[in-house]
Amino acid sequence: MTSGTSRYDAIVIGGGHNGLVAAAYLARAGKKVVVLERRPLVGGAAVTEEVVPGFKFSVFSYVVSLLRPEIIRELDLPSHGLQILPLESTVTPMDNGDYFAGWGDADESRAELRRHSPRDVEAMAQFGRLMVHMGMAVKPILSMVPPDPSSLAPSDLKGLLALAKHFRSLGSEKFHALYKLMTMSSADYLDEWFEFDTLKATKGASGIIGTFLGPRSPGTAYVLLHHYMGEIDGAFRAWGFQKGGTGAISNAIASAARAFGAEIRTDAPVSKVLTSGSHVSGVVLGNGDELRAPLVISGLDPRLTFTQLLDPKTLPSDLVDGVRKYKFRGSSGKVNLALKTLPEFTCFRNDRDLALRAARGAFSISPTVEYLEHAYDDAKYGQFSRQPYMDIVIPSMIDPGMAPPGQHVMSIFVQYAPFDVTGGWDDAKRDAFGNTVIKTLSCYAPNLESIIVGKQVITPADIERITGLSEGNIFQGELALHQLFFLRPVPKWAKYRTPVRGFWQCGSGTHPGGGIMGASGRIAAMEILKAGTSA
Amino acid sequence: MRYDAIVIGAGPNGLTAAAALAKRGRTVLVLERAPKIGGHTRPIEFAPGFRAPLNADAGWVPPNVAKVIGERSAHDRTTAVRPYEAPGRDTQRRTQLVARLHKFAGVLGALYQLEPPDIDTTSPTELLPLLGVALRTKALGRADMIEFLRVMPMSIQDLVDDTFEREEPKVEMAAAAIRDLRQGPRSAGTTFNLIHNMIGAPDGFVTRATWKHEGPDALATAAEKAARVAGADIRLGTGVARISVRDNAVTGVVLENGDEFTSATVLSTADPKRTLLGLLDPVWLDPEFMHAVKNIKLRGSTAYVMYGVDTEVEPHGFPRSVTASTVALEKAADAAKYGEVSPEPHVEFFSPSARWPHLAPAGKHVVVARLQYVPYSLKRGAWNAAQAAEIGDKATCAINRAVPGFESSIVHRAVLTPRDIEETFGVTEGALTQGEMMLDQILFMRPVPGWAHYEMPVRGLFLAGSGAHPGPGVLGGAGLLAAKAALKKL
Repeated sequence: MTSGTSRYDAIVIGGGHNGLVAAAYLARAGKKVVVLERRPLVGGAAVTEEVVPGFKFSVFSYVVSLLRPEIIRELDLPSHGLQILPLESTVTPMDNGDYFAGWGDADESRAELRRHSPRDVEAMAQFGRLMVHMGMAVKPILSMVPPDPSSLAPSDLKGLLALAKHFRSLGSEKFHALYKLMTMSSADYLDEWFEFDTLKATKGASGIIGTFLGPRSPGTAYVLLHHYMGEIDGAFRAWGFQKGGTGAISNAIASAARAFGAEIRTDAPVSKVLTSGSHVSGVVLGNGDELRAPLVISGLDPRLTFTQLLDPKTLPSDLVDGVRKYKFRGSSGKVNLALKTLPEFTCFRNDRDLALRAARGAFSISPTVEYLEHAYDDAKYGQFSRQPYMDIVIPSMIDPGMAPPGQHVMSIFVQYAPFDVTGGWDDAKRDAFGNTVIKTLSCYAPNLESIIVGKQVITPADIERITGLSEGNIFQGELALHQLFFLRPVPKWAKYRTPVRGFWQCGSGTHPGGGIMGASGRIAAMEILKAGTSA
Repeated sequence: MRYDAIVIGAGPNGLTAAAALAKRGRTVLVLERAPKIGGHTRPIEFAPGFRAPLNADAGWVPPNVAKVIGERSAHDRTTAVRPYEAPGRDTQRRTQLVARLHKFAGVLGALYQLEPPDIDTTSPTELLPLLGVALRTKALGRADMIEFLRVMPMSIQDLVDDTFEREEPKVEMAAAAIRDLRQGPRSAGTTFNLIHNMIGAPDGFVTRATWKHEGPDALATAAEKAARVAGADIRLGTGVARISVRDNAVTGVVLENGDEFTSATVLSTADPKRTLLGLLDPVWLDPEFMHAVKNIKLRGSTAYVMYGVDTEVEPHGFPRSVTASTVALEKAADAAKYGEVSPEPHVEFFSPSARWPHLAPAGKHVVVARLQYVPYSLKRGAWNAAQAAEIGDKATCAINRAVPGFESSIVHRAVLTPRDIEETFGVTEGALTQGEMMLDQILFMRPVPGWAHYEMPVRGLFLAGSGAHPGPGVLGGAGLLAAKAALKKL
């Protein structure tokens, strides 16, 4: 650890996955890069921590699907420990004691769906095919620098033309399908396809992840599509669990960055960004060390970037105003449990083998669309959901290293826990939230409370406090149409640059947005490299 | 008897279509089920001697329609809207925001006089008029152009929260934005609905309440005159039972009384579901198209209560809203999602007799309340008299809070639930919009994706009502564009 002044080609503020990706690409291109992380470990909201001794929690994020295949390939992440174990199923316990499952095997899934709703079987096949097409239609947009539609600059016109050409190439039928997905609610969209309510609720639930909207809110079909765009080993939309938790993903990217020569400093908070005229010149750390670099890249969210790192008094008023209007609205919570044995779901009480099999996949507490919508209604008026939506995995079932032998960790992602809960998130409120989650889940797995040996409850306030994500929004800002693409985070500042020369943005608060994608980090790095000396 | 074209419905759209066709020398027959013209704009007699229109705002008359029907006073309107004053700093902000929204409304207004563009639009005849709209958009200036794209998909809640400090200016805009939707102010796309309904509103106002001195159905009357003068036949009190088809082409219509008329061109201003699933034999539609039509979200969620009263309630007849907060609007919207009537509905009321005294007997007055949200289908079974009465009581209670003593002045009361609207005006599910005005059901998506150019899969059948682009609130807009499309084929 050096003290005094050090010189680099580029400084990355924030060791979240996008910052790490940006650092890796810049280092790969020969730049002398340092990543500065405030916490003792890198990863941001993709971290694995042993909060309860012997039990490893993937504290915040817990599954992965959206990590760009080009990043996996170009940084050779598998050689650095990336190993994603597919989640083979999603099971939704139903209120009548039955269950609805989606299995990895297509025939089994068909048979299971036929058991509930024969008419939905054919619809599912068509739906699946359309989603693949939609994923392919959106894929090129994920790695694009958003063109500014109000600009006449050649690069913008070129980008707009490419976009128009791309949409036209879809043909009107697919274009209309895409337009629907961009504008409808997930429930309405799914109503056009399916009859079986639990199916619609389970699929529709991916439209409310990290989002302060209900399944009947327009805009959630987009979030549904966003979560569908995953590729694991070529299979569209399959979700998986990284061996060792999402922290291991961050570590793999960090390892790749180091292999290319990047330096990573933890326990290194940035207290000030240095500028010289209108150009960035470096940073000052909390311990007083000064680091100089002509390039500084922020992986922090737009609010932190433009109100803490940069002084808003020095920024154009439309940027400041835009950042003020940029919506965070954290609505998610997390409950991580250390369990002395497996929970016993009532819906599998007669089939131990099936119960074990299901435990290797995900559980979705989403019995009906109305259930989810009521959960949202609670949050709108300042409460956490009395009967929340939950997305649950038991990582120790497919990755035994996460818990002591025979024991388990359970990761429960929860909607909705509004950041601005009435009365604020004090300890009592956190406890009440955690208890509500456990009590609700106990309705489906009655032995739960008796098997808990350790517990960690994370509220949006905790997410903000620990990771810096403003208001605990996991995407660094809502994935709403009015703040996506050329509007993310703010019009005119959606191309990773900032008004300060040499100061760039690379977090999910830029296109294409959140989830563990790494796309923002990669595009930002490419843009920096393309800009060369005028970066 | 054979006609060049048959138009179903004598509302503003139907009569404008008839005028447009007749002026080009075509023989036209207009068929209207009700005993009077006017469609949604016609006042109805809800008690002996007491008549009322449904809405304070009939809609905007676009210049292209005004031209066809020779309506000179399209831009010369008497506004009967109370000027709004936002308290404190919000005044300045409101002025700026409303001015901006008006600019955006202007762009929409230009777009609404053209067939909607689609992704595969290539012909110069389609692209050239769009250039006008593009230029108009560019004239907004760079910042406003981006802001236009940014606010269109926003929720009105976000927009007002970003702009105002106080609740009053927020709820004024939010109430206008949720008009005739089954959405609350927090839903994305509500800002679009506000801008849509602002087209033609006076400067500084977010609502139209533009009345012609002749009466609430003045536009329809003018269109009827233009149609008759050009030679169109108009028959009232005759409903269409069926559209006849042979070899996938329209051959005419059959009336409820059994009469038949032949034509190779039928323009229907009935809503898309009624037209395509009710008046046509389903054998003529392919399953995918039928599925798409069934999926049209009508979402009629507005109920009306008409009162005959013996004291003057609103001397100027201005519409007034009773709801005090955006949270109250959102809570009212929640109920409809679950098939329930809002425990505390959003209520607006106006007094049409203040503007048109002839609607009520001497010394008496008329008040009309509109309520949201009242779903067409109730979770708890079918509509009955008790439930309808409850709606009436909620409205009375709400107005009484704003106008003390109102209740004691009531002489007559009639409740129109969405069911009643459906029966009285012939719109499926009581949805006067003929398709909820949300982003996924506008432009090239209206009435269903890919079928936004008025002609339906059955040759010679054209959709000419609000269920087609540009939608409700644009008087004669769809009718004129459908007539133009039909003329290309005739």
